[in-house]
Amino acid sequence: MASPPPPNATQQLVRYAILLYWSIFWLFNLVDKIVGGAHFLWVGRDRFAQFQKYFESTGLGAPDVANAALAFAGALEAFAFVFFAGALLFEVQRNTAASRRWSFFGTLLTLGTFTFFSIGDHWFGDRFELLEHTLFWFISLMSWVVFIRLEAAPTADPVTLPKRQFMTAAAVAATLVLVTATAIFRHNTTDFHLRSDAVAAEAVGDHLYKVAFPFLGGSTVFENTLAQFKKTHPDEAIQHIYTVPNPLRLKKADALIFYIITEDQP
Amino acid sequence: MKERAILRSAILVFWTLFWGLSVVDKIIPDVQFLWVGKDFFALFIKFFGSLGLKDPLFATVALAGVSGLEAINFSLYLIALLSLRNGDEAITDTWFFRAILASVTLFSLFSIADQVFGDRFQLLEHGLFWIVLIASWIVFKHAPISDEGPVTWTPSKAGRIALLTGSALTMLTAFSIWNFSNATFAQATAPVVGEEVVEDIYKFDFPFLADKRTWEATVNAFMEGHPGLRVRYIYTGPSELNSKKKTHLLLYVFTEPK
Repeated sequence: MASPPPPNATQQLVRYAILLYWSIFWLFNLVDKIVGGAHFLWVGRDRFAQFQKYFESTGLGAPDVANAALAFAGALEAFAFVFFAGALLFEVQRNTAASRRWSFFGTLLTLGTFTFFSIGDHWFGDRFELLEHTLFWFISLMSWVVFIRLEAAPTADPVTLPKRQFMTAAAVAATLVLVTATAIFRHNTTDFHLRSDAVAAEAVGDHLYKVAFPFLGGSTVFENTLAQFKKTHPDEAIQHIYTVPNPLRLKKADALIFYIITEDQP
Repeated sequence: MKERAILRSAILVFWTLFWGLSVVDKIIPDVQFLWVGKDFFALFIKFFGSLGLKDPLFATVALAGVSGLEAINFSLYLIALLSLRNGDEAITDTWFFRAILASVTLFSLFSIADQVFGDRFQLLEHGLFWIVLIASWIVFKHAPISDEGPVTWTPSKAGRIALLTGSALTMLTAFSIWNFSNATFAQATAPVVGEEVVEDIYKFDFPFLADKRTWEATVNAFMEGHPGLRVRYIYTGPSELNSKKKTHLLLYVFTEPK
């Protein structure tokens, strides 16, 4: 195959972006498998637990089955990463033919990986993951088409802005950054305590109390709220907690709401 | 094989498997050993029940109709794949076009049903599958993919480095996976230790591997370890109490002295 002409500046940047995206995508997928579990500065996704539960649901509960499937996926991802990273290196060296060949193998491995995952999604009945993997399969296919299309259609698009336009855009952007950052830091100063403060329970009926959580609330707020409630209502024992289901909340305006039902202490 | 033929095969293999497994999922009812799938019968019964058509005959006929259309889809993709394997490009194009047409028609029917039954998430899902099918056809037929010379892997220095790096990363990943599995698999059944977060209220932070067996072991172990306490009430922490993706399930056990 004859080496195609090198792409011009704007196309070059998009080609770098495509190769960089897939290299990082597969690298981090791989790191997630190597790290395993949640640690300080890394949460990731517990794929072992996910795979183990999938296989357990089909009656194949032995951990080696999940491990083998996960290791196979890891191998596909490792080679996809290597080929995209290699393609990126060749692209930097302006070796367009080699870059195309390596990204083609990377794309094939990516398509293969998502096809493998899609088989699993049918098997384990996970339709949401089937949609997710089909979309990634599609994105991989389309990014390959865009990548090769940019080889053969040179245009004279400039990548630099005229100085006046650049200065105006920079001034508007800097102002917006300043306003946004100020708003965010102010919100942090006024509201971060809601991450741990107890929420007051409001009496809404006989032995019935409502607790409306702030959006920042988590398990710490829940525990502090219960501790405060017990302290302020020493004559009552918590009999039940009812969590208001989503259909009864005001769309996105309500965070967690629960009711505490009590009875008099014996 | 040439670049174009390889990508066309990848597209056909994906959709053939997609429809083939969809048909298998309809043939195997409910959850069986080695197959979970999705219970479409229950889904259809609920959909038709919501319309006021509670007779199971409606759901059964609809599901049989859908399964038949899916079987036709699968057959069309399979013929296209076999034609590609035989190197007959014109026949492959014809059968793939028929397959795509059948698939987008089926997803259009699904979308009509989603609107009737008011399921907007499924409407989005089917709309996305529909556009992916159209795009697959465009790439299959019109993408400017090279049809020159076969794609070969010539052993070069860079190729050998890629092979070595890929193998080393695979081994490292496999080692980490087995290591993590050995270290955590016991969590699938081992009882979780509770922490008293408020007087007489204990919190249990369940690991991702936990299931109903873990819950049973946890409650039994707690009662054995606290013979002076009676469990009054168990509260399952809603997802809002979780630290996003880090926490799997929080359980609070309310107790009182015996």
